[in-house]
Amino acid sequence: MRTKLFSVAVAATATLALAACGGGNGDGGGGGQTGAAGGLKGQGSGESCTISQAVPVGAALSLTGAAGSYGTSQQKGLELAAEQLNAKGGVKYDVKIEDDQTDPRQGITVFEGFVNGGKSIIIGPTLSNTAFQAQPVAQEGKTPVLAISNTAKGITAQGDYIFRDSLTEAQVIPQTVKKAKEKFSLAKVVVMYSNDDAFTKSGFEVFDAALKTEGVQVLETITFSKADTDFRALLTQAKGQSPDAIVVSGLIEAAIPLVTQARELGITVPIIGGNGFNNPKLMADAGEAAEGVVVGAAWNSASANELNAGFIKDFQTKFNAAPDQFAAQAHAGLTLIDHAVRSGCSAERDAIRDGLSKISNVPTVLGDVSINADRDAEHPAVVQVVEGGKFTVLQ
Amino acid sequence: MQQLLNGVFIGSIYALFAIGFTLVFGILDRLNLAHPSVFAVSAFVGIELVAEGGLSVWVTLPILLVVGAVLGLVIERVAFRPLKNRPDAHFAGLISSIALAGMFIALLQWRYGPDTRRFPAGSFPETPIQFAGVSVTVLQVSILLISIALMVGLTWLVARSRLGRGMRAIAENPTAARVLGVNVDRVTAVTFAISSALGAVAGALYAMNVNSAQLGMGAAIELKGLAVIIVGGMGSLPGALIGGLALGLAEVFAVQYIGSSWRDLIAFGLLFLILLVRPQGLFGARKVREV
Amino acid sequence: MLTDATLTFVALGAIFAYSFYAVLVAGQLSLGQAGFASLAAFTAASLTPKPSEIGEIPALLLAIVIGMAVGSAAAVVLGLPTMHLRGVFLAIATLAFAEAVRILILNQEWTGGAQGMSVPKVLTPGIAWVVLALVAYWFARMGRSRYGRALEAIREDELAARAMGIDVGRHRLMAFVTAGAVAGLYGVLWAYYVRLIAPEDFGFTAAIDGLVTAVVGGSTMFVGPLLGSGFQTLIPEIQRALGVEAGWIRPFVASALLLVIILFLPGGLASLVRRRVRLPKKHSPTGERALRTRVHPGRGEVVASLEGLSKEYGGVHAVEKVDLELRSGEVVGLIGPNGAGKTTLVNMISGLLHPTSGHATVLGTKVGRVPVHRVAQAGVSRTFQHSKLFNRLSALENVLVGGHLVSRPTFLRRLLWLPSARRDELAALDHAARCLERVGLTDLASSRASSLSYGDQRRLEIARALASDPSLLILDEPAAGMNHVEANRLSDLIGSLAADGLTILLIEHNVGMVLSTCDRIVVLNFGKVIASGTPDEVAANPTVIEAYLGSAEAESRPTDRTEGSHA
Repeated sequence: MRTKLFSVAVAATATLALAACGGGNGDGGGGGQTGAAGGLKGQGSGESCTISQAVPVGAALSLTGAAGSYGTSQQKGLELAAEQLNAKGGVKYDVKIEDDQTDPRQGITVFEGFVNGGKSIIIGPTLSNTAFQAQPVAQEGKTPVLAISNTAKGITAQGDYIFRDSLTEAQVIPQTVKKAKEKFSLAKVVVMYSNDDAFTKSGFEVFDAALKTEGVQVLETITFSKADTDFRALLTQAKGQSPDAIVVSGLIEAAIPLVTQARELGITVPIIGGNGFNNPKLMADAGEAAEGVVVGAAWNSASANELNAGFIKDFQTKFNAAPDQFAAQAHAGLTLIDHAVRSGCSAERDAIRDGLSKISNVPTVLGDVSINADRDAEHPAVVQVVEGGKFTVLQ
Repeated sequence: MQQLLNGVFIGSIYALFAIGFTLVFGILDRLNLAHPSVFAVSAFVGIELVAEGGLSVWVTLPILLVVGAVLGLVIERVAFRPLKNRPDAHFAGLISSIALAGMFIALLQWRYGPDTRRFPAGSFPETPIQFAGVSVTVLQVSILLISIALMVGLTWLVARSRLGRGMRAIAENPTAARVLGVNVDRVTAVTFAISSALGAVAGALYAMNVNSAQLGMGAAIELKGLAVIIVGGMGSLPGALIGGLALGLAEVFAVQYIGSSWRDLIAFGLLFLILLVRPQGLFGARKVREV
Repeated sequence: MLTDATLTFVALGAIFAYSFYAVLVAGQLSLGQAGFASLAAFTAASLTPKPSEIGEIPALLLAIVIGMAVGSAAAVVLGLPTMHLRGVFLAIATLAFAEAVRILILNQEWTGGAQGMSVPKVLTPGIAWVVLALVAYWFARMGRSRYGRALEAIREDELAARAMGIDVGRHRLMAFVTAGAVAGLYGVLWAYYVRLIAPEDFGFTAAIDGLVTAVVGGSTMFVGPLLGSGFQTLIPEIQRALGVEAGWIRPFVASALLLVIILFLPGGLASLVRRRVRLPKKHSPTGERALRTRVHPGRGEVVASLEGLSKEYGGVHAVEKVDLELRSGEVVGLIGPNGAGKTTLVNMISGLLHPTSGHATVLGTKVGRVPVHRVAQAGVSRTFQHSKLFNRLSALENVLVGGHLVSRPTFLRRLLWLPSARRDELAALDHAARCLERVGLTDLASSRASSLSYGDQRRLEIARALASDPSLLILDEPAAGMNHVEANRLSDLIGSLAADGLTILLIEHNVGMVLSTCDRIVVLNFGKVIASGTPDEVAANPTVIEAYLGSAEAESRPTDRTEGSHA
């Protein structure tokens, strides 16, 4: 019985291994999509384009696990965008949202499922580290990817099918530092960042470089963990240095307690944050304490831009909550995809890729977006300050 | 001086969390890894009661005690009692409590979503008290006092009451305790209930203190809690308090003198050292094992 | 559902679970494997030349070698100071180590910190499964080897394992190092598949995940980790295939299933696979030749001599200044009222307790100075007052462990399927079968030890003790729970063993049996020898009679620590 069991196991192993090798060789070249290719080509162009089959879009987002709150926000942005685009007619979108559970294994598996399942384009994943692990799967399968929240360096360098609409930290932070320096005549600051998170660490690196460029002295660099919520000891340490401002690269989970505790400890200097702080929860949860916090970000929630105002209103109506930057970037992502599809009036993978690479000054909730030669988005970033419980553009 | 106080207050949170943790560990020799999830559940339920139910914090905290106790009974009944006679009860209890914690957290996400929440501003007097250049909040002082009171109260309970005698008898030898007429199942269940009730109060106070409640808040403090109960000594209630304070202070001074990047290493370094040098912890009694 | 990625992750998950299995099988709960894997992955990925320079397979192989070396080295470093810890304490200490590693790696430049380190993707599902097959093979062949049985014995009852001559510290450390090597292997394979490794990949969650996989699969059978990983990896896939909505419901269902398995399948998923119980073959091709033979002392030589041996517990003398000499071939009875110190005395003779003062030389070893397994190696074997059998092993396996000292190590040779290993295993089996036969348990050879009746358990203990071919056999109340017929048979057995040249020290309450079986009787009361002599002399000794008449009083003494339930 035991030997039998063992030989069965060995045989099964061998079969699986062989099957897997075979599978690996057969794919690629967009093979997963060939069957459906006919229905993905449409007639007309641009606004008049009609495609009979709904465009299959896969989105790999972190709906549960540590990054669950960002993924859920992105999910809402995508759902709203899909609803609006489908109502417009001509081209319909079948957006399949899958959960990567904030787990690289699931990220890779979900991406592979999308590539083999004939999705025309993949959106996501939520986190940059997962992006480096999962997006190559799409690149190998010649399936275009639009990253909607990855800000790390090198995301789009992974291949010619990888695009993103989220500005890198390098596109946002230097101007934030510059603006803040002018406004508050900064000479010396304390920098705080969570060093166990890829997003906040890369944010820190850009902050650090920008501060150097601007000639602002960094008195001390203090690290924390993304799981931390009690910052009193760190803030006391920072306060002891009497800085002109505290620069923070952290996520919203850290931002709220950090800001409230800073004010409670009597720290009155400006607090400067990046994309992670660009969240209406900052004002909702930190209240008074959030006043005066400077936030450099890719999305200007206060923009009077008609599209943006409409988005905020519709989002509020549909979900009974204010959107954050994750939702806005997700919404813009699908808008860009729609544009790319319509430009060639085809939802085939290569057509979408070509369409995306040609995007120039497409109006979205983020403003007018262009995709550059590195497949990275370019659009105006904004430096905001919290005033009267609202983000306003720092003048 | 401010740092000293910061250390004491962080430490009192660790202590509050660890007191419940160590109770089950010390008396029943089981590590209840669902404890951190109770911590999170109570924070979210508390926020709902205050924010949506409009209750005051002073009404909410007793309700949370009950909620925690009920969760404790559930944990004991579902994840521990069915395993008690198994030869691998140690491992199995770990896994079953992890599974139950996973279910609690999933339910929490279903009810409240994955976002960070907080107690409405002003649900606890927040104005910092300033003296001698030091700032403390009423809440922080309350947490410290509550930790001390709970530690003293529980120590008394375990040392003097009938229930406590049952607990100690079980800690010594469950079989013998049964023979001596202790209702082992009942005492065990009550121990879990008390432990979880404390975890619940700790969770709510913690969420108030840092103005933030997250699904992962229990997991974030779990490792520190483990460090505290080992440093303080298995099942020793004063040990949990002193261990918590020691850890809080050590962390604060690590920030000041070694660098914030190495702060978390302190907890684990301390823990490791204690396990090597004095496995029974600072306040634990050495269990004499005979052959 | 079975895509490249899921296939690979089933294999990787199983390999990681094997690193937990490696120690769980010996009853150790460690969570340090995540730390080993992390160190191995980062070190190997940064030291190994790029696959483009030396080829994919050579690069992977080199990385594996580096990773396994780093993993086992880390296990030695962590293992040496922590091996004395047990249960949850070990788990927490190792977890602390893993967390320390994570923080260390986060704060290093060369690892890329939180942003991680990119690693070329080399691993294919095929390679992953080949490696998994090798790892599974290792543990499959370990199961029925002398080494594997020793680990299982340690898991079931560490103290009894020591008394069977197993060097527990060494075995535990070896299991730990194996875990380190396998975890290192996992770390490297992971790195060469996922393209980017970050400290996060080897955090607390990963450690818990590995443990859960191993326990769900079952930690007493080599297929466990594979089943566990299949379950853990495929659950999300199945939910996806079934169209369960993404979100909270999936982790909820996964956790609920986990709970159900833990509660209702005590041995994990592997318990669904029937465990084959091995029975001895009737033929005996090699006979005793393969077993080591022990040189027993010649008849009448001194086997043990105790001088002024004392044991004190906080001022109470459990044993006080006992002088005793045992000679080869003798059957010596040790009697006395409850709490007289009999068990304490034999615990000192067998090395389990260290005397407070006095000297004892047993079969050439100074007991109290050397570890228990050394005393066993010298030829002392014993049964325990309260059965200390290896409960989840079969009766035959119990006796096989008893034969640890006289059988040869077979694991490495079993890996290579050398015929000599098979011969040695058969010889050990024959030997064990003969020991079982001698106590009349042949028919129950395949029963779990825990399922035997009380009397049978006592006899199994004797068989197990006999299996080490001892020169001195200590029987601690062997007849407890036996009826007259059984006790008489036991008495005959003891006689025949003595006739074979064994020296026997018998503790027994059944005074009639002691009188009829023993050549010489020593009577202990309040820790002191109150009488010694032939059965007739002792039976007529007034002090003894008084001690026994007063024994009702003695029995109710609450300070009975030496023979309490921990004994």
